[in-house]
Amino acid sequence: MFVRGFNALGERKVKYWRRLSKFEYLAPQSIQEVCSLLERENGNAKVMAGGTVLLARWKERLGITPYLIGLKKVSNLDYITFDEVVGLKIGALATHRIISNSPLIRKRFEILAVVCGGLGSPQIRNMGTIGGNLCCRFPSAETIPPLIALGAEVKIVKSDGERTIPVEGLSKEPLMTELLTEVRVPLPSSRSGGAYLKYTIREAIDYPTVNVGVVLTLDSQKCKDIKIVIGAAGPFPFRAKKAESIVKANFLNEKVISDASQAAWEEASPLSDMYFSADYKKELIKVLTKRAIKQAWNKAEKT
Amino acid sequence: MKQIVELKVNGEVYILEIDHHRTLLEVLRENLGLTGAKDGCGKGDCGHCTVLIDGEPVYSCLTLALEEHGKDILTIEGLAEGEKLHPIQQAFVDYGAIQCGVCTPGMILSAKSLLDKKPYPTEDEIKEAISGNLCRCTGYVKIIEAIKEAARMRGG
Repeated sequence: MFVRGFNALGERKVKYWRRLSKFEYLAPQSIQEVCSLLERENGNAKVMAGGTVLLARWKERLGITPYLIGLKKVSNLDYITFDEVVGLKIGALATHRIISNSPLIRKRFEILAVVCGGLGSPQIRNMGTIGGNLCCRFPSAETIPPLIALGAEVKIVKSDGERTIPVEGLSKEPLMTELLTEVRVPLPSSRSGGAYLKYTIREAIDYPTVNVGVVLTLDSQKCKDIKIVIGAAGPFPFRAKKAESIVKANFLNEKVISDASQAAWEEASPLSDMYFSADYKKELIKVLTKRAIKQAWNKAEKT
Repeated sequence: MKQIVELKVNGEVYILEIDHHRTLLEVLRENLGLTGAKDGCGKGDCGHCTVLIDGEPVYSCLTLALEEHGKDILTIEGLAEGEKLHPIQQAFVDYGAIQCGVCTPGMILSAKSLLDKKPYPTEDEIKEAISGNLCRCTGYVKIIEAIKEAARMRGG
């Protein structure tokens, strides 16, 4: 039986079924096994972490493959480790709940704990993983703006090797026969602060209409570095580089922040959807960028 | 493709032969006759399919049954002891927190998970705990009051 309803992107009258269509589930126990399965099947198999996105999509009959590779039996992919040299390493299968509950992440990478503690709903946070969020290809994926703003990288593995790319580069990666296994976040500079703001129609469950992540580093009263990342306003979250250049190397004041948010307004090209026009979303982005820069600045000043 | 799976639900172990593509929600309702969990939206947007796995609320409509082999699954049917309702169930009844009842199993289980971890929750913590469960009838006020009462009854 199928349903006509709305999907995650607010598209109306999307057809989806209550039941999944048939597939064969494979349960590899190591990363190597996952990679060789992906390569052997070469597009006929997809991996699933938490399943919150993939199974919903497969109920719409989008992107189905005959084989589904479950990652739950792969041991040791949900770790959180930290050292003062390399920084933070998070296994791709760490759930949002594990990440937001981590005392270490709350203390040293607060913006990540805020995002992972606030997205979706308690159930989604229990099931969903950071790796899944990075790979789901939703423009509004919430872990991506803060991770780009923190300068994070991801480790991608195939049978014959691995590579590390910045999170920003993920949009260009098909990842068809490779597995994202780890997220690496460098140590934040001293005197840096982060902020993540989003607009959702309701307070929980909804995907953000727009979202903004900012990480700002101070050098006495000047902004030494800033990254402003805007999500849900393009196919992948992007850095508002013009806005960044207005703030960087300047003293922070109302005018600078206001000009930066205006630049973000110019750089963003969101799409109109069922609920909001593109123009309204741009206004939201401007306001959220302004607030996020101020919040990040406040946080940085307190360090 | 079928697989033999051992599911531990409400303390009992069931050995089932199920297709790979069956969700936990389908198996609970259709194979085990536990129809407390409901198929509201089928895609993780309403919470009516909520069950507890190892004490944590999840959307069973987006969970594959065969992945939960060996886990501890609690459904609403596992709360009452014979005729005696669980304190949270009793509070929902006493406080008028149930109208059509569709959201109720999921709401109670989300509340149980909260109270098991935080016996003295604030109102904000209660709201956050049920933020993944939608109710179309009550407007949530009675539900929140019932959960507060359940916390009080447990000595919170």
